Amino acid sequence: MADAAQSGGGGTRAAGPRTAPRHGGAPFARLFGATTGPVGLISALVVLILVFSVLNPRFASVENLQNVLFQVSVPLILVVGATLVIQMGSIDLSVEGIMGAAGMAWILLSPNTRLAIDLGVWAWAVGLGVGLGLGLLTGLIYAKLKVPSFVVSLGTWYVGLGIAILLYGNSSLPSLTSDALERWPTALTLGLPNSFWLAVAVLAAGVLISNHTRFGRGLMAIGNNEPIARGSGMPVDLYKVAAFAIAGLLCGLAGILATMQLGSGSTDIGFGQLFIVIPAAVIGGTALSGGEGGMMRSTLGVFLLIILNNGLVLAGVDPDYQSGVFGLLLLVAIIAVAWPGRDRLKVAK
Amino acid sequence: MTDRADPSARAAAPAPEDRAGRLPGGLRRAASWHVLAPPLVFFAILLVVSVANPAYLGPFGVSIATASAAPILLVALGQAMVLNIGSIDLSNAAIALFGTILFALTIPATGLAAIVIVLAVVTLIGAFNGAVLAYTQVPSFALTLGTFGILQTASLVLSGSETIYVSENRELVTALYATRAFGIPLTFWIGVAAAIAYWTMLRFTVAGQNMTAVGKNESGAIFSAVPIRRVKIAVFALSGFTSGLAVLAIVAQAGSASASGLGSALLLPGIAAALVGGTSISGGQANPINVIFGALTVAFVPIAAQALGFGAQAQSLVYGFFIIVVVTLTTTRARGIVIK
Repeated sequence: MADAAQSGGGGTRAAGPRTAPRHGGAPFARLFGATTGPVGLISALVVLILVFSVLNPRFASVENLQNVLFQVSVPLILVVGATLVIQMGSIDLSVEGIMGAAGMAWILLSPNTRLAIDLGVWAWAVGLGVGLGLGLLTGLIYAKLKVPSFVVSLGTWYVGLGIAILLYGNSSLPSLTSDALERWPTALTLGLPNSFWLAVAVLAAGVLISNHTRFGRGLMAIGNNEPIARGSGMPVDLYKVAAFAIAGLLCGLAGILATMQLGSGSTDIGFGQLFIVIPAAVIGGTALSGGEGGMMRSTLGVFLLIILNNGLVLAGVDPDYQSGVFGLLLLVAIIAVAWPGRDRLKVAK
Repeated sequence: MTDRADPSARAAAPAPEDRAGRLPGGLRRAASWHVLAPPLVFFAILLVVSVANPAYLGPFGVSIATASAAPILLVALGQAMVLNIGSIDLSNAAIALFGTILFALTIPATGLAAIVIVLAVVTLIGAFNGAVLAYTQVPSFALTLGTFGILQTASLVLSGSETIYVSENRELVTALYATRAFGIPLTFWIGVAAAIAYWTMLRFTVAGQNMTAVGKNESGAIFSAVPIRRVKIAVFALSGFTSGLAVLAIVAQAGSASASGLGSALLLPGIAAALVGGTSISGGQANPINVIFGALTVAFVPIAAQALGFGAQAQSLVYGFFIIVVVTLTTTRARGIVIK
């Protein structure tokens, strides 16, 4: 995000693990750097699960597993979009605002206690459209007017929140009146909650796009070295706009799903999600400077944070400690990842 | 900015040398826009509001606007110093919040010494951020997001999730808010004094020039033997210290402290004020004096929106578009620069 200035000219990057082989102990550092993500994460997950199962037998129950998957679904959808954006070295802060706007638009057009209109499928189209529109706005201002994505998405965060507040107005809380819609996210298909299946479908599409399309590989190339990506004829601006549009669309979907899970509309339906999604991507090894990481790693990051949260609650830890534990974990994870790549000449922003 | 980045190119080719000869004029023009935009934006809004609704512009209006701008200004000043070296401090508002609770808990027993204690503690927290950044080379965004979470929990635990009212020695701190000079509370003047001090440091001292050098071109700074570790630790410590000044402003205004009270939502307005004040998010450009106008603008936008007849509900929307428009107008777009 912030290390834009000097990588400009010829892309002289004195940073990153790629330069590691130049100094001593490099092969180990490289090996460690390459494997620390998934192996470290998976072993951390296994340890967590074992510890929590011992602390509280209810943790390993089928009901709690379904509960965890239910909680994982919203951040999982968000992290797919966030990973696309972070891979190209940008950042999308607008998550919570877009969720609020899309969720509120959707519930007001679905069967609810306030308005008597039910647009059915069109409610989905409008809700997702709001997300896509705000994402497009972010992407266009960022790519075409060359305003840093941090600032633009900070602006669209407030814009989304503003739309949600205006839609909410002064009248009563809109609650879902359709039993079918309200029950859908928790209902089980093949033993797993529907909302999780939705998230899995999004994740599968995300992996496909990220790993097997020109666009997905292009985002990685932009994050790695934008001048070279541009110089080799890649439609960089188009890719940037598309990445933010997809992220916006997924924020919209997550907003609708979260609204459905809650059963009523709320302007701050996305509250706290940004503090799960960005640490999850970073813990998973997606570098904020771009050009690294992947969907599956971010997914592991989401699971780690949600299981940690769930386990701590079941172990009787005060919820006040949640953000502290997340923060501490984030610190440990980034330091562990950055440790082998330390270098006197490395640029760390 | 990019011309400075590559001294070898300038030495090698005579043409850039020639261009460099003419540069000062061009640089001055570019700089003048950055210098002038923040006050212009503020006075433009002031003008629009005064035409639309004169009732908002009396001495009372000034006093309200500057009072609500004071904590934003102090947090934004620290943020501007951090942005100037190309990093970001997401934890500075959380440091301020933690500081308010510590301050409210210590002032009844220790009186004025509480100010020293709190300033020392928050400066150390900032220095810790800087040291971790300098020695482990993690990205400051993720690092300070982590300390943000830890400090949030620390605030909740320290306060027991309750509001702490300052009863004894209350007048020691509320005097900062109640005392006015030219209708403006002392808390805001503290911010102005800090801004002038920081501006002087950036402009006239080696330490300040080193900070800007790190922000403009960190690799260049390393090769020029700028002590970057010391610079980073110092800047983050400064950010913590300035958050400590914000603590005084917040407690002086509220007379109490809580983990969800005044000061819990300072992070984003602080960043917005620094950016509207012409600070570049990619580093190497900060003018603390202009951050004063940035903070005034950010504090004034909700008042302006109300004065212009937008309902309270439209404030977020106006605020969001406003940030985008102002930064779009003032951001740097040097040729070949990579915008992330």
